[in-house]
Amino acid sequence: MTRLIPDWGIRVTNFGLGYILMCLVVAIAATNTGNNGLYLVLAALLAGMAVSGVLSRRNVRGVRCEIEALGEVVATRPALLRVRLANELATGTAQALFFLHDSLPGPLWIDPLKPGESRDVVVQAVFPRRGVFREADAGLLSRFPIGLFRKYRRAAVSNEIVVFPVPEASAIPDVPPEDARGSRPHVHRRGGGADIRTLRDFVSGDDPRDLHWKQSARMRRWIVREREAERDRAVFLVVDNVLEDRNDPAALERFESAISRCAGQALILLSRGADVGFQSRGVKVAPRAGRGQRGRLLEALARLEPIAPAEAPPFPPLRHGDHRLMIT
Amino acid sequence: MPPELRRAYLLVLGPPALIAPLPLFWTHGASPLGIALYEGALMVLFLRARAGRPVRLSDSVLNAIGLSYFFWLAVETAMLRPGLLRSVSHLLLFTTIAKLASLKRPSEARTALLVVFLLVLGSVSSSTHVASLVYCAVMAVLAFRTLSRLAVLADFEEGPPARVLTAVPTAGLSAAALLGGVLLGGPLFFLLPRLHGPYALSPIRTEDAPSTAVTTDRVDLDSFGSAKLSDRVVLRLSVDPPVALPQLLRLREAVFTRYRNGVWTRNPLASRRDRGSFGVQLVTGDSLPSEGRTARLSVDENLFGSGFLFLPYRSTHVRVERGRPVLLPDGAVQVSSSRVTVRYEVSVGKREARGAGESAIDPAQVPPAVRDYASKVTAGLTRPEEIADRIVQHFQKGFVYTLDPPRGSGDPLVGFLLRSKAGHCEYFASATAMMLASRGIRARLVTGSYGGEVGAFSDAIVVRGTNLHAWVEADLDGTGFRVIDPTPPSGIPPATARVSWWKRLVTVGRSIEVFYDRRILGFDAGDQIQLSEAFRDSFGNAARSIKFWKGTGEGGVFPGGAKAVVVVLGLAALALIAFKGITRRPAIPPATRAYLAVRRVLARRVGSVPPAVAPAEVARLLEASAPASVDDARAVVNAYCESVFGGRATDAATARELKERVKRIRKLA
Repeated sequence: MTRLIPDWGIRVTNFGLGYILMCLVVAIAATNTGNNGLYLVLAALLAGMAVSGVLSRRNVRGVRCEIEALGEVVATRPALLRVRLANELATGTAQALFFLHDSLPGPLWIDPLKPGESRDVVVQAVFPRRGVFREADAGLLSRFPIGLFRKYRRAAVSNEIVVFPVPEASAIPDVPPEDARGSRPHVHRRGGGADIRTLRDFVSGDDPRDLHWKQSARMRRWIVREREAERDRAVFLVVDNVLEDRNDPAALERFESAISRCAGQALILLSRGADVGFQSRGVKVAPRAGRGQRGRLLEALARLEPIAPAEAPPFPPLRHGDHRLMIT
Repeated sequence: MPPELRRAYLLVLGPPALIAPLPLFWTHGASPLGIALYEGALMVLFLRARAGRPVRLSDSVLNAIGLSYFFWLAVETAMLRPGLLRSVSHLLLFTTIAKLASLKRPSEARTALLVVFLLVLGSVSSSTHVASLVYCAVMAVLAFRTLSRLAVLADFEEGPPARVLTAVPTAGLSAAALLGGVLLGGPLFFLLPRLHGPYALSPIRTEDAPSTAVTTDRVDLDSFGSAKLSDRVVLRLSVDPPVALPQLLRLREAVFTRYRNGVWTRNPLASRRDRGSFGVQLVTGDSLPSEGRTARLSVDENLFGSGFLFLPYRSTHVRVERGRPVLLPDGAVQVSSSRVTVRYEVSVGKREARGAGESAIDPAQVPPAVRDYASKVTAGLTRPEEIADRIVQHFQKGFVYTLDPPRGSGDPLVGFLLRSKAGHCEYFASATAMMLASRGIRARLVTGSYGGEVGAFSDAIVVRGTNLHAWVEADLDGTGFRVIDPTPPSGIPPATARVSWWKRLVTVGRSIEVFYDRRILGFDAGDQIQLSEAFRDSFGNAARSIKFWKGTGEGGVFPGGAKAVVVVLGLAALALIAFKGITRRPAIPPATRAYLAVRRVLARRVGSVPPAVAPAEVARLLEASAPASVDDARAVVNAYCESVFGGRATDAATARELKERVKRIRKLA
C-alpha cells in the first residue's frame, strides 16, 4: 500500500521533469536556429521555474498548521481533530493547499488563506493504536504554483494527543463484598445507600420518605435521615507491564490485549459507582469513582509502556482492605 | 477518470488550447479551414464541459478518426504539398482535439498540454509581427492559470468542488508571478547566448512606400505623397540637452538637382569643383568631440532603400555604430549595413545653418512653361531675396495643400503651376526650386523630415512618415545654401506639438513596435555586446557620480548617474520584499534579546543549555564558567525576569546598558 504521508520536504514531480526536458529541447532549438521567438519562450520557461520555486516556498512555509484533539481519542475509533491553519505572511494568499492525514481517504482541499487569516478545520481521524502522539503524522502538501515541485510541511501538535486503548467488552469482574473487619474507612459521602449518615432538618427537595417520624415528633419539627452513598470496595486493576522480549510481536499483542481488557473492566466498575484504581510496575492511579477517574485510568493505560524485567520496579503496596484484580 | 474530473480538465485546458494556434492563421502556418475546424471542435468540447456533459469518445471511434486523419495526412503531404510547418501544425491541431475528446487518465491531460505547448512554440517561432507580443502576454497569463489549476487537479481523484477551479490562482498572486516572470525573463532573454544571427527579421520591405520616397537616389512627386500618408516610424532620436528643438528637428537627408517629368534624381558624379565644403566630418572613435558642441543627437533609424542618414543642419560630426558610412559631396551620409536599423550620433555646432556642397539645378533643365511662369510671377524683381520672397508669398495664396493632388497628363510640375494649383510639400518645393533656378539663383530640392512626436514616457522624439518633408536650399547672397520652405503652413508638419493621449498611446504602440523589431526580433550577438558595453558605461558613470557626490558633499544636486543606482537598489528591494515576503514577527524586547545572547554565550562554553534551564540557573552557570562576568550576567538575568515576569518595560537607557553588558560578557567569556 502506498504511504499517503510523505517523509520528504520537497520533490520534483514528473511534470517538473518534463518541464525541464522541454526547457532543454527549446534551448537546443533556439540556439540552433537563432529564432528569437524560441528564445522568448525559453526565457519565459526558465523564469517560470525560478518564480515557481520562490512562490512555492512562500506558499508552504508561510502557513502554520497545528493539530489539536477535540475530546477523547480512542484507538481505532473515529475521533475529531481540529486543524488550525494560519497564514503568517503579510502579503500573498496561501493557496492550493491540501491537508494530509493517514486516516483521511485522500488529500483534503484547503480553501485559500488570505494574509494573516486563521482558520480551523475539523477533521475526523482514526488512530490505529493507543499511545501518546507528540508529532503529527499529518501536514500540508502543495504543488503550487505550476506543479513543478511537491512541497510538504509537517503539522505541529499543539498539545500531545493521548489515544486511549479500545475498551474490550468483558463480564462484570468478580469483586468480593466488603466485610466489616477489614474495610477501608468510609468517606461518608451523601447518597442513596442504606446506611444513615446523619439526621438533619428537612429542607425543600428532600424525599418525604426519609422523614424520621419519631425524632420529628420529639423535636417538633421535620427531621430527615441523610443517607450515605452505597459503595463497593476500592478495586485496583493491575496490568503487569514486564515483557521478557519487547520486540516479540506475540507478547506485545498480549500486552495490548491486557490493556484493552483492563480498560473494559475499569469502565464497567466505574459505571457501577465503584472506586477503581490502577496499578502497574512504577505506575499507580489512586482509586476513585466518577467521570474524572475514567479519564485518569484510560490515560494511564494509554501511556503504559512495556519494560524489561531488569528495570521493573515492584508493584506499589496496597492499603489495607483494597482489592487487587490482576488482568492478564 | 470520473466525468467530473474530465470536465474540470477540459475547462482548464480549453482556453489556452483555443488561443494557442491563432497566430498560425496570420502567419499561414496552418490552413484557415483547419484552424476554423479546430476552433469549432474545441468550442463544442468546451461548451459541453461547461454544461456538465463532457465529451468522451470511445476508443473505437477515436481509432477510426485517427486512421482517417492519417489517410488525409498522406493525401495532403503527397498531393497538396502544404509544406512542413503546415503539415506539423495540422497534425498538432488534430492531436489536441483527439486528446481532449478522449481523456481517460490525468496523464493524458498532460499530453494534451504538451501538444498545446508545441502549438504555442509553432505560433511564436513563426510570427514576426509586433502583435505576437500581445499573444505572448495573453499566453503567459493563461499558462500560469492553467498550470496552477492542473497542479491542483493532480491531487484530486474525484471531481473537485466547483470553488476549487475559481479559487486558484488568486489575481494578486498571478500578477506578482507574472511581474516576477517578466523581471527575470526579460534580462534572461537578452543574456541567453546567441550563436546564430536572427532567424526572422521585422517585416520591413524595401518596396514599402517610404522606401520609394526616402533615402534613395530617385524620388518622384507622386510617391512622396503616399509616403507622407504612412505612419511608419522612420527614426527615433533623443537630443542632449534638449535645446533649439524646432530648428534641430529639420533633418536633411538628400539633395536633388536633376528634374525630368516629375522625377528628381541625385547627381552621383559630382565633380571635385562641385564638392565645396562637406560641412560634416565622420568620426570613427568611441565618442564625439565635445568642443564647440551645443547638442548631441542619438538616432535609431530604420533603413530604407539606399541608407541615407537624417542629419540636422549645423551638424559637425557624425559617428555611426557598426556600419560603413560614406560622406557624399552634398553633405549627405550614406550607410551600407546589413542591419534593419542603424544607430548614429551627431554633434551640432553653433555655426549658421547652411546646406553643404555646391551642386545646384542647371537653369537649362527648367521646363519652358515653368520658366515663363517664374518670369511672370517675379516680373520686375532683380534681387534674389525679393524673388524668393515673392515666390513663397505667391504659393501662400491661391494654392492648396493636399496629399492627393489631381493627376493629369504631362509634366506634373507644370500641371501643378498652371492647372491644379494643388499639391504637397514636394510640389511646392520643386516648383520654387525650378523657378529660382530659372531666374539664375542657385537652388536645389532637399528631402528629409521636419518635426516629430515627443515620446509618451521619455524625451525621445519619434519621426514617422507623416513628418517627411521637402524644401528648398538656395544661395541668395553668396553665403551658402539657406533653407526656404515654400509649403503653406497647413502642410508643414508640426514641430513638437503637444500630442493627444490617443496619439501618445499610438506613439507608445509604435515605440513598442520599433523595440520589438529592433530589440527582440532582430536581437543578436552584436546587440549583446552593445548591451553589455552600455551597462558597463552606465555603472561606470553611476560610480563616478557617486564618487563626485561624496567628494563635494553638497546637497541640492542629485547626480544623474546616481539615479540609476538608486533605481536599481529600489527595484532590488522591491524584488526582495516580493520574493521573501514580510513575515509578522513580534519585536523582541531588549532584555529578552540580551538574555538570549547570554544563553548563547553560555551554550558555547558549556556545550548546550536546554530550554528547561531557568534564568537564575543560567546566571549561576555563567558565574561558574566565567567568574568575572557574574555582575553583568546577573544584571541581564534580573532585567529579563523583570521584563518578562514582572511586566516592566525596559527603557532606552537600560537597553543600552544591557547591550554593553552583553558585549562585556562576550569578551570575558
